[in-house]
Amino acid sequence: MAETALAYVKNVRDTAKSFWEGMSVTLSYMFRKPITTQYPDRTGVPVRDTIPARYRGFLEVDMDICTACQACERACPIAVINIDILKGDGKLVPKLRMERFDIDIGKCMYCGLCVEPCPTGAIQHTREFEGAVMNFDNLTLRFVPDVLKPVVAYKPPKGAESFPRQPLGEITRKLIVAWDAPPPPFPSKEEAAKDHGKPREGALDPAAMGRQLAAKALAVKDDKPKLQKILEEAMAGTDCGDCGYPDCFGYSDAIAKGKDTATDKCAPGGADSKAMLETILVTLKSGKLPEAAGGGPAPSGAEGGGPAAGQGSAAGEPQVPLKDAPAGPPLSKTLSKDELYKVVLDAMAGTDCGDCEYDDCDGYTKGIVYEGQTDLNRCAPGGEDTRAKLYNIMLGTKPPPK
Amino acid sequence: MQNWIDSLIRGWGQDPATWPWAQFVYLAFMGLFAFIVINFAAITAGIFSWAERRVAARMQSRVGPNRVGPFGFLQWIADAVKLLLKEDLVPTEADSVLFRAAPYFMMVGFACVFVCLPFSHTLIVADMNIGIFYILAVTALIVVGIIMSGWSSNSKWSLFGAIRSAAQIISYEIPAGMALMIPVMLAGTLSTQGIIRAQGGFPWQWFIFDNPAAFAAFFIYFISALAEGNRTPFDLPEAESELVSGYNTEYSGMRFSYFFLVEWGNMWIMSALATTMFLGGWQLPGLTPEKFDALTGGIAVVAELASLALFAGKTLFFVFVVMWLRWTLPRIRVDQMMNMCWKYLVPMSFAGVIFVAGWMLAVHAVPVLGVAMRAALFLAGAGAVIAFALRTMKNLRDTGDKFDFTSNW
Repeated sequence: MAETALAYVKNVRDTAKSFWEGMSVTLSYMFRKPITTQYPDRTGVPVRDTIPARYRGFLEVDMDICTACQACERACPIAVINIDILKGDGKLVPKLRMERFDIDIGKCMYCGLCVEPCPTGAIQHTREFEGAVMNFDNLTLRFVPDVLKPVVAYKPPKGAESFPRQPLGEITRKLIVAWDAPPPPFPSKEEAAKDHGKPREGALDPAAMGRQLAAKALAVKDDKPKLQKILEEAMAGTDCGDCGYPDCFGYSDAIAKGKDTATDKCAPGGADSKAMLETILVTLKSGKLPEAAGGGPAPSGAEGGGPAAGQGSAAGEPQVPLKDAPAGPPLSKTLSKDELYKVVLDAMAGTDCGDCEYDDCDGYTKGIVYEGQTDLNRCAPGGEDTRAKLYNIMLGTKPPPK
Repeated sequence: MQNWIDSLIRGWGQDPATWPWAQFVYLAFMGLFAFIVINFAAITAGIFSWAERRVAARMQSRVGPNRVGPFGFLQWIADAVKLLLKEDLVPTEADSVLFRAAPYFMMVGFACVFVCLPFSHTLIVADMNIGIFYILAVTALIVVGIIMSGWSSNSKWSLFGAIRSAAQIISYEIPAGMALMIPVMLAGTLSTQGIIRAQGGFPWQWFIFDNPAAFAAFFIYFISALAEGNRTPFDLPEAESELVSGYNTEYSGMRFSYFFLVEWGNMWIMSALATTMFLGGWQLPGLTPEKFDALTGGIAVVAELASLALFAGKTLFFVFVVMWLRWTLPRIRVDQMMNMCWKYLVPMSFAGVIFVAGWMLAVHAVPVLGVAMRAALFLAGAGAVIAFALRTMKNLRDTGDKFDFTSNW
């Protein structure tokens, strides 16, 4: 390739010029502050303080405002949260205490489903995220540090909108151990078996308490407000709302007034609450107190044998009030529209799921009561129960078979 | 070296000339010096590997290795230990004898250069009268090592790297040799110490400012040295993006570390040679070599240390320039590399040699010509340095940044 002398000189000049420019640029960068942030130990502020407030980091439970409703435990899709409840009679010892509240952040997938149902906002995501440890067991955050010192459940004031919470992150930060900390002690089999199965002092005896409450209920059979109070005592009292009512009052009131017949809706109370409620309802229906189960195991199949009696009658029970409903004009004809609205709303499952193609239960209720909606089959969560109630209220008939 | 040892022994009240076994004493000292020189080369290469990473990081707005020891200084030791503990793999299809021998050829060619490299007024292993010639000769051993490693690895990448390296080093030997001829002509000797002594302590007494051809020769030498040391922008034999790692692709562990030791150690060699040939070496301003020789006692030790520091300082500056170039320039193509050598550097270096021959005759006839040219070139060089500094500051400010060399280390 032929090259003129001019081009030759120009090439040399261009080389020198580009060296000159290029090297002055790189040298100038040498004298600037590197933009690298030296995580983790040379950052201006802790990194957790620089990430967005809604970041889903480690979970934190403020035990001071935890109602022990276990809504988070039920919400968790992968069983990361484990709560052990110690139930009391509500007199000598508190009704609900927690002897274990563990969250395995090594397993947690940070979906946030546990935060949603919490009635007091006790469980929250923090911005903590640095949990590298040598021992996997150290990733289990124990919010009840000592099993022998159970934490009493928080009883939220009626109608409270907000709850006093410790600053987010401080509790969890204390629970995160050093990366090389030894694993927590694990009890040996003998040690664990030592106290297994022994009754605890002040522990709840659902059979005995059920009979107690049933006796009281029998005495005030027709006084709905008093009956409601007794029924509420059989519930866990966490006002968690899992039953579909806003609080324990709503559920117990519905049962007292005969509007609700399901006894298994109290999730925190579990089998104990169900047994007690059934004992009460059976007593009210039959008019006589069930016999005590005696010292030994309850005789199988014995009618009126405490919890066994409750379970025995559970299958036929829910239909009872409907059968007993007065045969007359349906409620829709007798009540005013506004009263009817309340009754219909009560009959709904209350999940606001939107399956009925209205925005929420309120919308569907208004549709039925005020706007002439005639399709009463839309409440999917309520199922057959709600359907029966709606037909009874609106038409005074039984629902047609599907 | 022999004189130095003799004077040392005479200092203890002995005369080695009367010893029948004096040769063995010299042999022992030779072993000692070899040990010191090889360790010096290995340790500087290690430190440069750390320094290069810090410089590179800084130029790329990063931080670089800063965790092992103060400023991460012990990083190179950690890396060396890691490399030494790695498995020494020899590929099945490789020529195992040549494969194992190649790194040692590299090391020998590299370490032998240090024999003739001055460090200060007195510190030099052997001030041979054919010093420069010797250095150019032993450097060629490195090419042998590279070609051996490329061939014996039995890998296309290695072979490509080796062939490129051979072509490159052999081509650039010519301009490098011719550029070095210019100070040799000016000094009238091939001895490295002799060339330094022919210059002076002040910048305008250096050979780089002697005449325009010497000025150009400095840059020709520097570019050729980069190419011979396989440094960016001439790192074609090791082009990561094309050849994985070039001729040392198949090596691991300690043998692999030898190649890198040679590469980084070469930075000292090329810079020390540039300092020796063009930049006055260890010459202290205001102290002529004759006066230096006459110094005795404590002041001699101080002057010695000062000359050592000055030489090391100049050399380290050029080591920095080599690193700086690496993070400034992209790799050039093979044809560009050959073009640059044969069409630019070779003709220019030949023209320079002829010009210097004529220039020396002219200065001999009209001495004031030499003084005027030195003054003009020195002022031009000083002006260029200042202009470059201003340009750098402008680049810094134009982006809205500020001078901050001390934070975020």
